[in-house]
Amino acid sequence: MIRFEGVKKSFGTKEVLKGITFSIAKGEILFILGTSGTGKSVLLKNLVGLMRPTSGKIWINDQEVSSLTEQEYLAVRKKCGMVFQHPALFDSLSIFENVAFGLRRHWPNLSESEVESRVKECLNLVHLNGIETKLPQEISYGMQKRVSLARTLAVGPEILLFDEPTTGLDPITTNAVNQLILELSRRLQTTSIVVSHDMHCALDIADRIIVLDQGHIVEQGNVEHLKKSPHPLVRDFLEEALSAEGA
Amino acid sequence: MVTALGQRIIFSFSHVWGVLSLLAFALWAAVTPPIRVRETVQQLSFVIWGSAPVVLLSVSFAAAVTIMEASFHMKIVVQNDSLVPGFAALLILRELGVVVTALLVTSRVGAGYAAEVASMQVTEQIDALKMLGIHPVRYLLVPRLYASILGVMVLTVLANMVCIYVAMLVSQWSLGYSSGSFLMAMRAFVTFQDLVFSVIKAGFFGAVIPLFSLYFGLRCQAGAEGVGVATTNSVVATSVTIIMMDFVLSYIFSYFY
Repeated sequence: MIRFEGVKKSFGTKEVLKGITFSIAKGEILFILGTSGTGKSVLLKNLVGLMRPTSGKIWINDQEVSSLTEQEYLAVRKKCGMVFQHPALFDSLSIFENVAFGLRRHWPNLSESEVESRVKECLNLVHLNGIETKLPQEISYGMQKRVSLARTLAVGPEILLFDEPTTGLDPITTNAVNQLILELSRRLQTTSIVVSHDMHCALDIADRIIVLDQGHIVEQGNVEHLKKSPHPLVRDFLEEALSAEGA
Repeated sequence: MVTALGQRIIFSFSHVWGVLSLLAFALWAAVTPPIRVRETVQQLSFVIWGSAPVVLLSVSFAAAVTIMEASFHMKIVVQNDSLVPGFAALLILRELGVVVTALLVTSRVGAGYAAEVASMQVTEQIDALKMLGIHPVRYLLVPRLYASILGVMVLTVLANMVCIYVAMLVSQWSLGYSSGSFLMAMRAFVTFQDLVFSVIKAGFFGAVIPLFSLYFGLRCQAGAEGVGVATTNSVVATSVTIIMMDFVLSYIFSYFY
């Protein structure tokens, strides 16, 4: 469904991605792990055209997307929903308007009652009710992240992208968001890519894990395969996850 | 040092090219649907009602200083200040009203736009717009462009009226000219064309403000410092451009007098 082939990305003289190749099947939950600054978010942004690869190719559903124009990319982005590192909610709009924003854009013919019902349904999916009239700054950071997820779900994407969805959240909300990712992927049959540095979450919900280090994929496979990996970075991540679990 | 200077020049030209590209896109986007009328009206209200008190207060004092300084120096040089009301009115209509208004709107509205867009960039709201299928430049620029052009034009007309009125009061109280003689002197120097040209200038200046704000806002580097730098760059670039454009437009209009 999604395929990266030799993708490189440079910023000036600094090469962040150094020839990334992997693919993801439909309905799969893929975790991309790595330390900060290894190019995880850059990888995700290249997929949806928010950044363009310096070289290499990216396919979504057999369509090569890396050479598309900005206008052509709009149609591709309709298939993708992205939850950003920041909640990225529009400050001047209420929670209802934030969730309805993309919906009105993608389906201009929807009646107001249909929009209302879809917004409520999506807020319900992320376990948030009764906050429709509030402004983003009136709710907690964790709730903002979940509203951001609801806004993404409202447009019915085939592919869900999460850029460090649990960064800055407390352990209870982190767990709730992770369960939500799993629940949504299974219930809505979406393909999910989660960028994170939380091995504990990855072990819990990932179908497959890719470990990125200094622009290269150093390990990839399912949870069982990763647990047996001798790579020092993977061992470090695993030890960290196990100590978090023990604590 | 030569290399650094060369890099600086290339960097400046890349900014000029970037703003011109944004201008070309803005001109196309401004005349093709959808035009967000409600957002444009909200922005227009922000420009006019928000800026009017500051603009009118500032230009009033500028007009008072202009007429008093002109009288003081005319009395020293030619021992006569009878031409001051006419000259002051001319200066107010051709330069003072429109330039001071545009610079004040730059510092209030332009800085606000730049900080808003820069914050949106830093908090990934711009990327979120793209992901929802919305062209962020079109979405943010077009309503602000219309609002800023119309707003600065309206504020300029108001500023000119207030300036002239204050100049008349000052010349009456301080210089001893009656309202009638002030208006007579003004009519001898000022034509309707001066007002029209000042409004045209205002339109150009109004267009520059959101262009630079968006340009620098969208190029904001991460962090609070990035927002500050983007806002400062935007205000400086807009102010310098307004002063340079004022010269160019005044030169062009001089052929029509």
